[in-house]
Amino acid sequence: MLAVVRELPPPVLRARGLVKRYKRVQAVNGVDLSVGAGERVALLGPNGAGKTTTLLMMLGVVTPDEGWVEIGGHRLPGARSQAATEVGFAAGYLPLPEALRVREFLHLFGELYGSADTDGAIERGLARFRIEHLAEAMGNELSSGQRTLVGIVKATMHHPRLLILDEPTASLDPDVAKRVRTGIEDLCAEEGTALLVTSHNMIEVERLCERIVFISAGQVVADGTAADVAARFGRDDLEGVFLHLAEEGER
Amino acid sequence: MSWRRVKAVARRHMYVLQRKPQRWFDVVLWPVVDALLFGSIGVYLARQAGPGSQGVAVLLSGILLFHVVFQSEISVATGFMEETWSRNLLNLLVTPLREVEYVAGTVLFGLAKLALGVGVVGTMAFVLFAFNITDIGLALVPIIAVLLVVGWSVGLIVVGLILRVGQGAEILAWGLLAFVLPLSGAFYPVDVMPAGLQYVARVLPTTHVFAAARVVLSGRALPWGQLGWAALGTGVLAVLSVVYVTRMLSAFRARGFISRYT
Repeated sequence: MLAVVRELPPPVLRARGLVKRYKRVQAVNGVDLSVGAGERVALLGPNGAGKTTTLLMMLGVVTPDEGWVEIGGHRLPGARSQAATEVGFAAGYLPLPEALRVREFLHLFGELYGSADTDGAIERGLARFRIEHLAEAMGNELSSGQRTLVGIVKATMHHPRLLILDEPTASLDPDVAKRVRTGIEDLCAEEGTALLVTSHNMIEVERLCERIVFISAGQVVADGTAADVAARFGRDDLEGVFLHLAEEGER
Repeated sequence: MSWRRVKAVARRHMYVLQRKPQRWFDVVLWPVVDALLFGSIGVYLARQAGPGSQGVAVLLSGILLFHVVFQSEISVATGFMEETWSRNLLNLLVTPLREVEYVAGTVLFGLAKLALGVGVVGTMAFVLFAFNITDIGLALVPIIAVLLVVGWSVGLIVVGLILRVGQGAEILAWGLLAFVLPLSGAFYPVDVMPAGLQYVARVLPTTHVFAAARVVLSGRALPWGQLGWAALGTGVLAVLSVVYVTRMLSAFRARGFISRYT
């Protein structure tokens, strides 16, 4: 009898052996990470664990000292521009340029990402997150929640295969955070977008992501479902794991 | 290179110019002040020197051509600085936008700014002092072309310095040309300068461009040999500026300097 071997789709993101040192600080120390097509992955860890540096290396903004990153089959840094067309990025801490209206800001990035129909993508993106009324607002008139929503619209207009979000719901009210989460879930379900997200909100992460990668002192220390990761550290939930790693880091 | 991305960058800076009144200082206010200042000094000197003096023409052509360098330099440098001030740098660095497309976008926008800024000086010079820069004729075209490339190159060097040093280097967007202006002999021949500085002045491509412009103003033919040296020097400067900014961008990525702007 012949065994049927089902080929898995190639990962949309592959990173191997990432190392980054800043003067006397070892920020990242040998991180391996793959994200499959449509997979939703959380990258968690205490402050200073190396999450943001890892994300920035994956986005080609920071050059690793060692290791490599490949997005959609495009190896960085040589094919950075092609790789960038496959990725959308938003961060809760990034403001909107104050001299631009929301529609102008989105139009700029639609053009930079090469959206097929920039104006249509803007309308659909604003509608998905129920912020059509903000289209003509200036960037500096928005609340932090509204800014985050606009940032996510910007990151998704070109239908990326991978959406990378750094602390997307940090400092948001629970209702706005829920709207962000729901919008991301809908997007991933409808378009098969893979997700790589960092967050300090463990409940949100468990709802949003099917796979958890914990990073501590620049190294991946756990990779699996939320239940697997909690069990591995002998804790009840992800928050327990987080607190345990944060305490270890302080010692 | 994507023309669509180049246009998007140029349009983004057009919005900034529309919405930030302080940006009109570089484009309108300084050109008006310079035209008035140098035109008036020229008239005064011409009165002292008597009939036939070229003081007004030399000073006004000098400041007008200097504004070609200034406007092209400042559009590249402040274009980049705007991204750092508005903390938009990370947003841009994660897009498919290539470095050459970004520079081309700021250059494209800069050409519009240049037309505006130089247009203001030219109009003021004509209206207030009856000086018409187009009297130089077609020789103006190669002269302006060389000065444009000098301005873009200096702009790239400033961007490289900001990438490496951070916001502390921003003052050089205005300050670097403040050194170039007197050393280039924009208003006088180099041989009136202190002896030691003459060697420095002769190395600068701008010195030869301003000298060539004065030759044409005096009614003689464009000294192509001198302009050729200026073009050669400008070519070397342009290559060096591209190499420098590329290396500084690599250092920026290697050292994680994006953290300064997030």
